[in-house]
Amino acid sequence: MTAPEMQFTPSKDLSFGVELELQILNSRDFDLARDAADLIGLLDKTPHPGAVKPEITESMVELNTSIHREHDALVAELKVIRDAVAQAARRLNLHIAGGGSHAFHQWAQRRIYPTERFEHLLEMYGYLAKQFTIFGQHVHIGCPDGDSAVYLTHILSRYVPHFIALSASSPFQQGEDTSYQSSRLNTVTAFPLSGQIPFVHSWSDFLGYFDKMRSYGIVESMKDFYWDIRPKPEYGTVEIRVFDTPLTVERAAALAAYAQTLARHILVDRPLAPERDVYTLYNYNRFQACRYGIDGKLVDAYTRRTLSLREDLLDTVKLLGPHSAVLGNGAVLARLAADVEAGRTDAAWLRQAYKERKSLNDVARMQSEEWMGKAGAPS
Amino acid sequence: MATFLPQFPLFPEPVLLFGLLLLAGIAGGELVKRTLKLPRIVGYILTGLLLGASGLNLLDQPLVDESWIFLEIALGLVLFELGRRLHLDWLANDRWLLATSLLECTLSFVLIYVALTALDVAPIYATVAAAIGISTSPAVVLLVAQELKAEGQVTERALNLTALNSVAAFVLATMLLAWIHHDYQAGWTMVVLHPVYLLSGSVVLGYVASAGAIGFSRLLGKHAERQFVMLIGLVVLSIGAARMLELSVLLALLSFGVFCRNVDRRYDLMEVDLTSVGQMFYVVLFVVGGAKLQLTDLAAGGLIGMAYVTARFIGKAIGVITLTPLSGVRPGTAGLLCIALTPMSGLALAMVHQTTTLYPEFGAHLATIVISAVLILEIVGPIAVQFALKRAGEARTEEK
Repeated sequence: MTAPEMQFTPSKDLSFGVELELQILNSRDFDLARDAADLIGLLDKTPHPGAVKPEITESMVELNTSIHREHDALVAELKVIRDAVAQAARRLNLHIAGGGSHAFHQWAQRRIYPTERFEHLLEMYGYLAKQFTIFGQHVHIGCPDGDSAVYLTHILSRYVPHFIALSASSPFQQGEDTSYQSSRLNTVTAFPLSGQIPFVHSWSDFLGYFDKMRSYGIVESMKDFYWDIRPKPEYGTVEIRVFDTPLTVERAAALAAYAQTLARHILVDRPLAPERDVYTLYNYNRFQACRYGIDGKLVDAYTRRTLSLREDLLDTVKLLGPHSAVLGNGAVLARLAADVEAGRTDAAWLRQAYKERKSLNDVARMQSEEWMGKAGAPS
Repeated sequence: MATFLPQFPLFPEPVLLFGLLLLAGIAGGELVKRTLKLPRIVGYILTGLLLGASGLNLLDQPLVDESWIFLEIALGLVLFELGRRLHLDWLANDRWLLATSLLECTLSFVLIYVALTALDVAPIYATVAAAIGISTSPAVVLLVAQELKAEGQVTERALNLTALNSVAAFVLATMLLAWIHHDYQAGWTMVVLHPVYLLSGSVVLGYVASAGAIGFSRLLGKHAERQFVMLIGLVVLSIGAARMLELSVLLALLSFGVFCRNVDRRYDLMEVDLTSVGQMFYVVLFVVGGAKLQLTDLAAGGLIGMAYVTARFIGKAIGVITLTPLSGVRPGTAGLLCIALTPMSGLALAMVHQTTTLYPEFGAHLATIVISAVLILEIVGPIAVQFALKRAGEARTEEK
């Protein structure tokens, strides 16, 4: 018997929405603070669009947009939410920052946000729960039905290295340069239910898999799968979860627009058939993107050739031309492509900040200034 | 007898004294922490009480006098640390925090004054004692917060309010010097210029020290160890300079900290943690603070002390409870915040001392009014702060 939340709610017109996990910093040394409850409490009293929710530790907060169809409306809403969050943070003497990891916090000092679910996760996963104080962006893409969602998930898997390289913003962890562009995903990989969707071809097959996992007592809901991309039937979406939270909301909206355009290409053109080798090569390609970002290699399961990730990205943006025109994403994608060509990434920005200041406290501070802007600052 | 041998009777060296006080304090602190689960500070104070005039009298007045240099460094470090916790930006972003501070300072001053005059304390003494009562003990709040590794809105707000009320108390007590001078028929130059010199001189000294720190740190670069030594050097240097120039060590060091936090716009200064070195001075500060207390004072000034403590608490409580909710913090924060502002300690005595070195008899009488309140709050204060921070869920030791 399939649970009602596993019924796939149809979504129309490639609607999309964004979730951003953000860092709460203190104003003293810009280490992670523990004020999520106060920040959320204050935001509850302030009118703002979207939603702001707790995350696994008290140093994090998650910001959700409403459902959108166009990039411009998405970025406009994100800016309004950002300003509200920034203003509330300033009233509490806190700073908010983007970026996939905090440069120097010590995971052992984190405290679990006191809800039943998060405490259960601490009980189950032990120290991994605290190490999970990493910050990702999730992009939801609306799908007309469950079968399309399964198909979209399989084809998007081929493009996971793109998402990683474009968003990489976690070069530092625990006070060290990791040499990765995105070190955040290494933390996700440690979880037993991380990984990818099984190689099934329809929603009913997927439900069969889900019911089996549930009958073993391994999962209770879709939330328990920490996959890079997972269908979210109750929202009627496919959720891409490999993005590091970018340093600005503008970049977050641009990444969402890229995913939306790519999804339109996949769902409208049906260019490829699901291919098992995508998953054979998956971890290697994912590692390349995490380690080297846009300078990494990508082994294409369809052509069996090794490509430069940067070239493949630029080719894809070109390929998406007609779809970005329809969605109104042309300008955003052009800017994204220009950044790729020039090697402008958030990870590079963070390393440059460290090179200039030689202090990770300064990096965290500059990161928060980049995210908050002047919003809510006293005139 | 060989001349290279020490001559009897042995005279205790100040350094020997420092070591002994440190060891006795640490032992007492640990004992209190383990058996009673109270803050270590309570143990330091009880150790002092035991060794001091009210107890075994091992730590008598001449020995206490020997320790002045350690106390001065301890208070200097505490005020510098506290100054660095005062974020002026925050006061601009949360005007209600500033309003809360103004109200709690005013109300505690007025209510202490009213309570004391009702008990027939002469107005001039009541006013100076009330000014001193505005301040919360920075050492206690800072140390308990550090011991618990507490962070959160109650901790940060308590530290900022403490910094603000300490500034208010210093400034007011210094300005009241004019009245005391006048009362003792000092010349008008003394009446006017002494407070002005103390206030502006101490603040300028603090500013110069912070400019030195920022300039020095630019030279040193981002190296925590070197900046640490540099800061300790400047703190000690400023204490010495303030004493040499007859300025207020307390105000100079507090301003030094405030300027370091709020003037360093290029963020050249690192956030170095002075706790490790501070800790050993703080232990001695509280042991000696405890030794100075005379339980007999409590019997003598008990009624005044109780009235003083009660009026002060009510003033702070009304100020904090009415305005803190407007800052948008969680319910419950305000109540815990006013509990966290309870402590009074050695700083109050230092202010009594500073205010009155020129007129010892004035000082002696003032001390009888303030000291019983200090005696009560030395013990109650740290426990109150620990309760507030733990109840707020901001102590890291709360972890399961």
